Amino acid sequence: MAKFVTLTIDGQKVSVPQGTTILEAARKVGKHVPHYCYHPGMSSPAMCRLCLVEVEGAPKSMPSCVTTVTEDQVVRTDSEQAVGNRQGVLEFYLVNHPLDCPICDMSGECDLQDYVHEEGRVHGRSEEPKRVFGRDDFGGDVLFYGDRCVMCTRCVRFMNEVEQDQRLTVVERGNRSVIDTFFEEGLEGTHWHGNIVDVCPVGALVSKDFLYKARAWDLEHTPSICPSCSQGCNIELHTRDNLIQRIKPRENLEVNGWWMCDYGRHNYGWINRGVRIEDPLVQGLDRATEPMKWRDALDQLLQRVELIGEGIGIKAVATPFASNEDLGALAELVDVLGGGDMVYRSSCTEEEIVLKGFPTLARRKDLAPNTNGAELLGFTRVGDDEARGGLDDIATHDGVLIVLGDRLSDQSEDFGQQAKLFLYLGDEQSPAASNAHFVFPLTTFAEQEGSFTNIAGRVQRFSPALEAPGMARPGWLILGVLTAELNNRDAPRTAAESFFGLANRIEAFAGLTYEDIGDAGAVLNETLVLSES
Amino acid sequence: MSDVPLRNPGWAGNTGEFNLTEEQIRGDDFVGERPLDGGHSSVSGTMPYMLAERNPEADLFQGEYQERLEKILTRYPKKRAALLPVLSMVQELRGHVSPESMDRVAELLDLAPAYVRGVTTFYTMYNKRPVGRHLVQVCTNISCNLCGADEVLEAFLEYTGTELGETSEDGDFTVIEAECLAACGFPTCVQINSRYFENVTLADIPKIVDHLRAQTEKGD
Amino acid sequence: MAYPYVSDVEVRIISKYFGDPAHRRIDTYIERGGYKALGKALTLEPEKVTEEVKVSGLRGRGGAGFPTGIKWSFMPKEPTRPHYLLCNADESEPGTFKDRELIRWDPHQLIEGCLIGAYAIRAQHVYIYCRGEFFEVNQILARAVEDAYTKGYAGENILGTGTTIDITVHQGAGAYICGEETGLMSSLEGDRGEPRVKPPFPAAVGVFGMPSTINNVETLAAVPHILMNGGEWYRQWGTEKSPGTKLFCVSGHVQRPGNYELPLGFPLIQLIEDVCGGMRDGNELKAVIPGGSSVPLINSEDARNCALDYEGCVEVGTMLGCASVIVMDHKTDIVKQVRRMVDFYAHESCGQCTPCREGSAWTARILRRIEEGQGTEEDLDTLMEMTEQMVGTTICVLSDSVAAPVQSSIEKFREDYLKLIRTSKQAGAA
Repeated sequence: MAKFVTLTIDGQKVSVPQGTTILEAARKVGKHVPHYCYHPGMSSPAMCRLCLVEVEGAPKSMPSCVTTVTEDQVVRTDSEQAVGNRQGVLEFYLVNHPLDCPICDMSGECDLQDYVHEEGRVHGRSEEPKRVFGRDDFGGDVLFYGDRCVMCTRCVRFMNEVEQDQRLTVVERGNRSVIDTFFEEGLEGTHWHGNIVDVCPVGALVSKDFLYKARAWDLEHTPSICPSCSQGCNIELHTRDNLIQRIKPRENLEVNGWWMCDYGRHNYGWINRGVRIEDPLVQGLDRATEPMKWRDALDQLLQRVELIGEGIGIKAVATPFASNEDLGALAELVDVLGGGDMVYRSSCTEEEIVLKGFPTLARRKDLAPNTNGAELLGFTRVGDDEARGGLDDIATHDGVLIVLGDRLSDQSEDFGQQAKLFLYLGDEQSPAASNAHFVFPLTTFAEQEGSFTNIAGRVQRFSPALEAPGMARPGWLILGVLTAELNNRDAPRTAAESFFGLANRIEAFAGLTYEDIGDAGAVLNETLVLSES
Repeated sequence: MSDVPLRNPGWAGNTGEFNLTEEQIRGDDFVGERPLDGGHSSVSGTMPYMLAERNPEADLFQGEYQERLEKILTRYPKKRAALLPVLSMVQELRGHVSPESMDRVAELLDLAPAYVRGVTTFYTMYNKRPVGRHLVQVCTNISCNLCGADEVLEAFLEYTGTELGETSEDGDFTVIEAECLAACGFPTCVQINSRYFENVTLADIPKIVDHLRAQTEKGD
Repeated sequence: MAYPYVSDVEVRIISKYFGDPAHRRIDTYIERGGYKALGKALTLEPEKVTEEVKVSGLRGRGGAGFPTGIKWSFMPKEPTRPHYLLCNADESEPGTFKDRELIRWDPHQLIEGCLIGAYAIRAQHVYIYCRGEFFEVNQILARAVEDAYTKGYAGENILGTGTTIDITVHQGAGAYICGEETGLMSSLEGDRGEPRVKPPFPAAVGVFGMPSTINNVETLAAVPHILMNGGEWYRQWGTEKSPGTKLFCVSGHVQRPGNYELPLGFPLIQLIEDVCGGMRDGNELKAVIPGGSSVPLINSEDARNCALDYEGCVEVGTMLGCASVIVMDHKTDIVKQVRRMVDFYAHESCGQCTPCREGSAWTARILRRIEEGQGTEEDLDTLMEMTEQMVGTTICVLSDSVAAPVQSSIEKFREDYLKLIRTSKQAGAA
């Protein structure tokens, strides 16, 4: 049982476990003490001196990021002494910090801007020329603007303590100190260096990918889950003009801490691609496809299903990039049609890349977000580690063939030629789908609500950040309507309803609701740990 | 020269005789040269001299230097603590610490090269670039400043024909300002390579510079 | 005798053999009674040794003035982990040159003090962190340590008592900040010499994460004498709160600069006028810094009322620090000297804390501008306010040391600044 300590911060009493720092205790009563060098994921050198607070009885101001609470302590973060300290330190920062706001990427989300606006002096008093370091390319995705650096050393400590590949160091001392790499070595070969751009409180470290792309205040932030591997890092998609401009990690101490890998961070180009299937396409007698409205397309599909009758083999190919809801709806449809083979293909690399300083986080070998979901819902893996092959039987199947999301990029144009009914749901046209009787436009995960199940069995929700193109709809909706009409039932109208239905059907998900999952996800009772082969 | 009644090693013992060896200058004061292999391991980390013969390509940690290194490593519970003595040894042999040297040291002590660079650049004494045969460090801090250190510095620059911080054309001299050398009772103090020259006045400087120019052998 | 001049009023305890190179030889040292204190200490309980030093009232001679006996008593009494004693021989404070002389002339005294100190705090290893520029000093110290090992005063089974204490001499590489307690520990561990936040204090978490104590050279040099003669004996000199003798390093515009060992409480004006022979060239006294560049300046009036002990200096608005008396005559340009001191701090700042890193460089630039005649009176107000922001807001006190000369010189010698500012006004008007 942790011992609790009660103290007063700005007149408010708060009770926290022994060993908590004043800064963290202040956070609990909603007080944000300005700071730079402190970060919960790294060591605390207490060197920026911005978090100094007044503690009654102490001879001088105490750094709240390392000072632990004591019983009956009286702390003031807003007293004249504390505010004066902050004002003084901010003035010192601005002595050399260049007035780059008009050209700096960080503008609008910059801690220095915010703090100075809140509490800084109206006019700086320094008339001396500022020291200049210029711009340095650190390699990888990172550019370093040395003039803007506030020497908080978060980047150095991240590389040293969290990635545990010390590539950055402070060079020289005193006013001449600057962050640098070991000459040409740079950040090449590191896998987590994108995080130093996140932790930099000012615009000293910027992403080359995001350079001059968009203003921070134009961006919309949407919580989501990274689709690039089975770790399921919690992320935010930052969008403008219906395009993803960048990805940032979201805090989740159970999954990815405050971090994400470079691979996932930069793997968003495919979500922005423009050439999409926009309308439901139905193949006519002359094998030409005709765009139709959804109701008409669905009616035609239902007619065809009725014609085929029962006892015909069903084969379904899904993608592990589809959500639990999409896959669950497909599994239900296959079941209603009489059952059949359900497979998926996925890419795997040879090695995991573990973040040594936060070992529950790794870039997993499995490069898809919902493999675990697919397996739990009854899908089997086929094909090789490049997500190719494994579909020979299915390509020549003469029954019902449903493809959900798999682009079939390695398959020939003969694919599904013999199928009595070939339904292709996808985001992009595929030559291998030229034989499809029905081509339905699918939303990507960024355009729909849904959930993924990660490698540790944690179900995590994501929200739509982009508007779907044309008539594209989520898989759970299309297939849910189909199933409902075949069964003469009501179709789920929201992703939550779809998930609710899934939880009722599949034991692994039993009892779970969207409310349970919330922002931080929920772990399934039965965790299926994937064998990494 | 101030009237100093007691023995003050200063330079050439106030006698103005330039052909004396270190032993002759110091007389009873001389405790003997440090052995290259470091002597007793408790003191093998001290670097007693900056060699006048410096070879930027010199092999590191061979022979006696290897022995010295091994002795040093026994004195600290962690390998990393030997970094400063090791960098000093590198500078002893090569005259300065180059990026390649930093890389070698990093490999030797299981450290990241970036870390070694951070440590090397923190300390003033590690030369990041090659320096002249004689590194003239003039203390211009307050006690010497009160007694004319600025003029001494100017005079050195003039007589060696260098700019502050630069190496002379003939590669003989680099003149820099130093912070307090802890010889404040004997202003102005000038450290040339590893030797302290105390009570230096303007009149002494031409003689010192000529004396150093004439030196062709190791030993200072 | 102190060095290079001798005075009759000196009380020569630790500086007795200054100027005598024979004293470096261990045989001579032993002949003259050396290492007897060590032998005596080893027969006592470590607590008893600490008690003796506590009774003597010896205060840290590195500048902080913290009672040494009390500092030693902070160490754990029942070690479960290795203890370390660190000897701070990184003498870089401008105006200070006592440790260099102490090691040059009497290295065995220091070694004996280190061994006794290590025994008292139950340390098996002493690190003497000696400044990198001290090549000659390191040579002498190295030879002395080797001799101590050879004769069995250091290493295993010292004097057959079964006690093992090792000494390692670690040479620095040119950083003033490594003279700071935790900066020294960082440097000893092979890192950049950046000071650390306290708490945790070195007696709990020090070098290599182990309990450590750090003492100045002069402090440890006094220890053998205290052990030999008793703590009470040491108290016969000095004052109640500042007992014992101190090496005063006098530099600047006096006739006879050098080290003088005098009882604490000695009047400053007597030191300057009698012991050092008064001002050079018949000039007048203008300003004195009694404790090295980190303490406030005082003018000649304060100097006349200043007693050189820890309390006496505080009374006239300065501090004793490491007792390096820098004397300036009436021809001195105060602004230039303050600027040079602040340049020193800006150069030596480690760069961790924002007020010190930015403030010291900014202060230096303002002072340079004033010195060149481009200053205004607003600059003086800026300096006073801005340096006030540098006091008490950083990890170590280098930042406070920038404030001390700047604030005290503006308060006491405002005319010197105004002269340069009026010059610029005149130049502007012309």
